[in-house]
Amino acid sequence: MDFNPCMKHKVVRKAVRMFAEAELGPIAHDIDRDARFPWEVVEKMRPLQFFGLQAPRAYGGAEMDSISYAIAIEEVSRVSAAMGLCLTVHNSVGVYPIVRFGTEEQKRRFLPAMTRGERIGAFCLTEANAGSDAGGVETTAVRDGSDFVLNGTKIFVTNGGCCGAALIFAITDPQNPQRSAGVFVVEKDTPGFTVGEIEDLCGMRANPVSSLFLEECRVPETNLLGRPGDGIRIGLTALDTGRIGVAAQALGIAQAAFEDTVRYSKERQQFRKPISSFQTIQNYLADMTTEIDASRLLLYRACAMKDSGRPFGAEAAMAKLYCSATATRVTNLAVQVHGGYGYSKEYDVERYFRDAKVTEIYEGTSEIQRMVIARAVLAQRT
Amino acid sequence: MLKMVVCIKQVPMVSELPWDPATGTLQRDLAEGMINPACRSALEAALRIRETEGGEITAITMGPPMAEEVLREAIALGADRGVLLTDRKMAGSDTSVTSCALARAIERTCAGFDLVLCGFSTSDSETAQVGPQLAEELTIPGVAYVNSIEVAGRTVRMQRISDDFLETLEMDLPGLITVTADADSQRHVPLGGLQRAFAEADIATLDAEALGLDPERIGVKGSATRILNVYSPTAAKKNLVLTGAPKRIVEQLFARFDDKIGGAIGKDLKMDRKP
Repeated sequence: MDFNPCMKHKVVRKAVRMFAEAELGPIAHDIDRDARFPWEVVEKMRPLQFFGLQAPRAYGGAEMDSISYAIAIEEVSRVSAAMGLCLTVHNSVGVYPIVRFGTEEQKRRFLPAMTRGERIGAFCLTEANAGSDAGGVETTAVRDGSDFVLNGTKIFVTNGGCCGAALIFAITDPQNPQRSAGVFVVEKDTPGFTVGEIEDLCGMRANPVSSLFLEECRVPETNLLGRPGDGIRIGLTALDTGRIGVAAQALGIAQAAFEDTVRYSKERQQFRKPISSFQTIQNYLADMTTEIDASRLLLYRACAMKDSGRPFGAEAAMAKLYCSATATRVTNLAVQVHGGYGYSKEYDVERYFRDAKVTEIYEGTSEIQRMVIARAVLAQRT
Repeated sequence: MLKMVVCIKQVPMVSELPWDPATGTLQRDLAEGMINPACRSALEAALRIRETEGGEITAITMGPPMAEEVLREAIALGADRGVLLTDRKMAGSDTSVTSCALARAIERTCAGFDLVLCGFSTSDSETAQVGPQLAEELTIPGVAYVNSIEVAGRTVRMQRISDDFLETLEMDLPGLITVTADADSQRHVPLGGLQRAFAEADIATLDAEALGLDPERIGVKGSATRILNVYSPTAAKKNLVLTGAPKRIVEQLFARFDDKIGGAIGKDLKMDRKP
């Protein structure tokens, strides 16, 4: 067992860090304040293949292994969690389900524009009455000849305002919603597909999270991934991968908060000493770094299991549960150590604190992660 | 087809690094490595030349085995192949021995080369000697401190800032150019290229024996340079508070600093002062 990062992973981290610090660093604060999605950075990310991180090379992807993927998301999120969110959703639950479940024709039709970043992906499961309960989806897709006609409203869609292709969860048989869910690829220019208002959220403000409306939105049956009824399976598989991305994102936020806190604690003087010389602060720093390290190890293990082809759902859930809890605890302590300044928008820890919370909510709440983990435990043990 | 060689060096990423007081060398094992910024400019220059003129780029480095990292990065950025010179026996080589080793490696692995590009200097030792010495070793012309390059057939036209002048020079190929760090705005590493650079890159590893170097004339033993002392320079700041009425303050300011202020505005203030 080797706990040292290999040369490739070190270089991936360095490359993404240099990009993120150079291109996102100077604007991360402003895009959060202005709730502005940074298209100019998307433009720069496109040729570097940030929008095809794990997609096969044949479809324009970078074909990264999962640890490299997690490192890339972590490093972007360390600078701008909202942009990390855009990438993880696009790659994990936008591109990946098509790579995994799409036909060759679908891959050729949808993937190149997505991996080039011309069509940013979104994953639309959540509705007013469905979220953790994927079976509660009310959006319908009714067959009409060789088309399906979609009707319904999706809410809290990450990348909603910037997406070019949305994966829509819809039921094809209202009499049998549990067994008829399907995932449809709907391109933004399809008539009947409209983007709602951008949500006014606590954190991740640079990501245009919105509602999406489907009104008599007609797509060919060739836009259905798998068969009617495969929806739940596709969704759950996508979410396993998505959880690796969100865990990496949470880890990046925690790492950023930790680094700022160490720096600040060495600079800030109270009682004529840097506050880092006080045991209370040292205890906080020790807790922060220990939790971050443990989070990282859990995450990379889930990634390694995924790449070795073994089931990794429970491990991804553990990583997501723990990394997101670490992010909220670490950012909370970061604000505490910064004192009044930490509560001010002048300091980045205030943004990290707001951004962290949602990592415990989306891509399956912490409560759902515990359910997934407990199910795996109960299935394995007698 | 233009055959280009880019010499790159792995340097520590942080400026404040621990160093070994006994030998006066940096404790490189404690630092993250990166491509020296000026070497990155040299690579960028080569990539741009290839974009217009075509050709192939070999990245070459000398260093510990972990220096392979910068070759992979160079390949991810677009170099066609890499050559790593690594041998414990070469550790501690001075700039002269390093230039000799690089020259032998270039002759062996890139016979018939047209253009060698180097960073003008490295951020860890700042000698700026390897490039010019390498030109001597290869018996080709060399131009240092270049910040723009144009290739036309067998001629290269270059510009460099020399004091307050912009010099334009021409050189026939084969030749060597050292490039300044700010020569070109540098591209970011493409992530797919990085994966490929680790999966399928062409990297040759050579040691002193493969280069045909005399073991007596390499490493610390073969180096004429001795580092006598390495220390962190300390800059002390002293605050000076001038008091009194504004007129008095201005008078004091000019009395003390007229030479500095005059130097900044290009005027001899002593001559102006009223008697």
